[in-house]
Amino acid sequence: MRWRYIAKIVGVLNIFFGLTMVFAVLCGLYYADSSIKPLLVSMGLTIGAGAALFFAFRGSKAEVLTQREGMAIVAFSWTAIGLTGALPFYLGIESCIFVDAVFESVSGVTTTGASILTDIESVSKGLLFWRSFIQWLGGMGIIVLSVAILPFLGVGGMQLYKAEVPSPVPDKLKPRIRDTSMVLWKVYVLFTLAEFVMLVFGGMSFFDALCHAFTTMPTGGFSTKNASVAYYDSVYIDTVILVFMVLAGVNFSLHYQAMKGRPLTFWRDAECRFYLGAILVLTLVVSLNVYGDAVYRSIWQALRYGAFQVVSIVTTTGYATADYEQWPAMSQLILLMCMFLGASAGSTGGGMKCLRVMLCFKYSYKELFSLIHPHAVTHVKISGTAVPDDVMRSVLGFMVLYMGLFAANTVLLAGLGVDFVTAIGAVASTIGNIGPGFGMVGPVENYAQMPYLGKWLLIWCMLLGRLEIYTVIILLVPEFWRK
Amino acid sequence: MKIVIVGAGEVGFHIANRLAHENKDVVVIDRNPDALRRVSESIDVQVIQGSGSSPLVLEEAGVKSAEILLAVTNHDATNLVACLMADILSPSTRKMARIREADYDQCYEQLRSNAPHIDTVINPEIEVVKTIDRLMQVPGAVDVNDFAEGRIKFVGIKLDPTARLAGVQLSDLPSMLGDNRPLIAAIVRDEKIIIPRGEDRLLADDLVYFISEESKLLDMLVVFGKRSEPLKRILIIGGGRIGHRLTTLLDQRSVSTKIIEQNPDRCNLLAQRLNKVIVLCGDGSDQGLLTEANILDTDLVITLTNEDETNILTSLLAHRMGARKTITRVSKFSYFSLMTTIGLEQIVSPRLSAINTILKHIRKGQVISDISIKGEEAEVMEAVALETSDIVSKPLKSVSFPKGAIVVGIIRKAEIIIPTGDSVIEPDDRVIIFANRKAIPGIEKLLAVKLEFF
Repeated sequence: MRWRYIAKIVGVLNIFFGLTMVFAVLCGLYYADSSIKPLLVSMGLTIGAGAALFFAFRGSKAEVLTQREGMAIVAFSWTAIGLTGALPFYLGIESCIFVDAVFESVSGVTTTGASILTDIESVSKGLLFWRSFIQWLGGMGIIVLSVAILPFLGVGGMQLYKAEVPSPVPDKLKPRIRDTSMVLWKVYVLFTLAEFVMLVFGGMSFFDALCHAFTTMPTGGFSTKNASVAYYDSVYIDTVILVFMVLAGVNFSLHYQAMKGRPLTFWRDAECRFYLGAILVLTLVVSLNVYGDAVYRSIWQALRYGAFQVVSIVTTTGYATADYEQWPAMSQLILLMCMFLGASAGSTGGGMKCLRVMLCFKYSYKELFSLIHPHAVTHVKISGTAVPDDVMRSVLGFMVLYMGLFAANTVLLAGLGVDFVTAIGAVASTIGNIGPGFGMVGPVENYAQMPYLGKWLLIWCMLLGRLEIYTVIILLVPEFWRK
Repeated sequence: MKIVIVGAGEVGFHIANRLAHENKDVVVIDRNPDALRRVSESIDVQVIQGSGSSPLVLEEAGVKSAEILLAVTNHDATNLVACLMADILSPSTRKMARIREADYDQCYEQLRSNAPHIDTVINPEIEVVKTIDRLMQVPGAVDVNDFAEGRIKFVGIKLDPTARLAGVQLSDLPSMLGDNRPLIAAIVRDEKIIIPRGEDRLLADDLVYFISEESKLLDMLVVFGKRSEPLKRILIIGGGRIGHRLTTLLDQRSVSTKIIEQNPDRCNLLAQRLNKVIVLCGDGSDQGLLTEANILDTDLVITLTNEDETNILTSLLAHRMGARKTITRVSKFSYFSLMTTIGLEQIVSPRLSAINTILKHIRKGQVISDISIKGEEAEVMEAVALETSDIVSKPLKSVSFPKGAIVVGIIRKAEIIIPTGDSVIEPDDRVIIFANRKAIPGIEKLLAVKLEFF
């Protein structure tokens, strides 16, 4: 491990992150609100800290990065970004204690969307912009963006990319990692712009439309309104956001293929079929269940709110248009399961990812099949190609770790005095990067009432979820630190 | 520039590595997932698992938009079919194939003009035999390369502690040697390449690269303290394809050559085809056999078996038993850095030869030949200076050369100019440029035709 080099790169990424604060400052200047000073101070501190690291270790160079170093850089950068991203909140919101600021910031960059702010609308525009903007940066990945923009990261780019965008089956769209990152970001920006325009068309103010576009595409879920999307109570806005949430949950390489003139790729991809099928089936079941329980008067209303909640949770966005805690138990349980399912691999969504769940189902079936035909030679297949054994093993390992960490963190949170339902809901929601949970942290409440240590625990859960477990948990393995 | 490489073996890997560092778009195809993992984990390229001779796989790899297809798998047949398929899919792509079987030797021209349309056939074994031949002709050299059709030699030698030049500062050379001084292009010291300036000194055990006209080469070697001693007795160990080619060449010369080969059938074949060469059947690392082959009076031992380890150990053994010089075939790149430490200086590598040949053909602009220096840290290129390129018609000192590159020679018709800062390159001159790896993309840009003019 070349710690000096790692520190240098973390420094560079911090400078880069600090520079992006300029957008929030501009927004503050435009609205001439109280956020300018805290934002400028935070920007200075972030760039200063990054520059200090960079200059302290400027001499160290590396030809190639090992996978281990890549993971360390990504894990430390995300921690650093989570902390420096918290500065504007800490300095700019009076009632905000440090842990709350970090919670808000990490919830932003990890695209979770869980908030500790009780009155969002009273926060200045500049800070609200920053809150949405970090979500947008974190969605496609700050490091992916850096790899695309900063040429010298090309050296270990693949290692960094793999650590930030872990995918069961990594696919490179272009021969070079820089071009791949660039392509993904272009698709991402394009969708964000499209959503922004459509939201403005639906009557949202420019500021709100921009912030919502910034938090839909990364499947984040921060809203500028206390009541989230329910504030607008508009079928048009609900539909636009719903469609873009679905799009954000699809593997971005498929979007790229489709834009290159192969729209059928969505259908040919087994994971995408599974993802869309799951949304469709679950929407129908939840809507009928809600309608049958007479929560809503018409089937259309049930369908509108049912679909929005299912999509919002499956894609791990976390916007709310309805309080699903008033819904029947079956619907609530389905939504809880959806928190685990998550969106597609290679999308901006969180959770376990459809691909992994699918692989596990297929693997279980294969085991059953070989009980019936002990001599049969079978392979787990996705879209017609066999999945290599090592991929299958890493998927199974991931599932075990995910469930294990979920269980452990739930118990720990309950140990801090949180009730049964809340503990399950809060951990499932943060580790899946969704936002709203159940009980005390349901869609109409927020995380402000969590105990002090509980907030730190959930911050750690969000980072675990966003970097897909391995990159973060590896830091706790003693072997990782040995020379 | 997009390049598709079929085969992720040692050659494919190193070519991909080199090209990826030069910011080219590289796609590597191989059947073996383990080989591909090694590539994708350490190099920034796209990998595709599948057979490189399959049109579907080639299409997926984007051969239609590729400028160059390189077929470098271990199987000649696969390489040929890959080129054929690529030719059907995308006739404009330049195709290069590595083909090793000697039976194809006469067909290179047909392969170019007929169906597979292979633009370049690369036979690393022929290249290796050429390299060995060059090394034999220049006594004391570690590395010999030709430029300007052999009129200029680029030679690397190890400076002995007893040599007159050891410890001399470069700026003192003119006063010491007058006009007969060598043009030193680079010094390799402790695995590092130094592009020397006036204040640098030559130290004992440095590997010194210099440029010389062919006619003056022997004088130059005397300057460096190497005397030419004609090779009279040569012993070759390993009668594989390279051994066979080399002995066929030596068979026509007046040197006494022996070859040791383990496989009796192979020995029979060699004995049938060779006239003067003595074929011995047995284990080349057996001391008794080596004594029988009169190793004590042998001028040069060349170890050419397929196993690196056997070659290295046998060369060391031959040294110990009294052979004056050895040339060792080493394929694994990771061993290269070890060689000087253990005292084996003259190394040949079919893979390095293949890479050199391939690079020569990939380079843009008017690059005529291109040679990698040991361990592929640097390259020497010979290129035509085009009228429209940035380097012509102004003094060298005002050309913005990338860091780590120098012009070491200018060839103007029959004349060879050793450049100074005031030299001016004229259009159609050939320039020899020494560049380390990082400077290569810059050099390529400098040499390329500037399209803005048209």
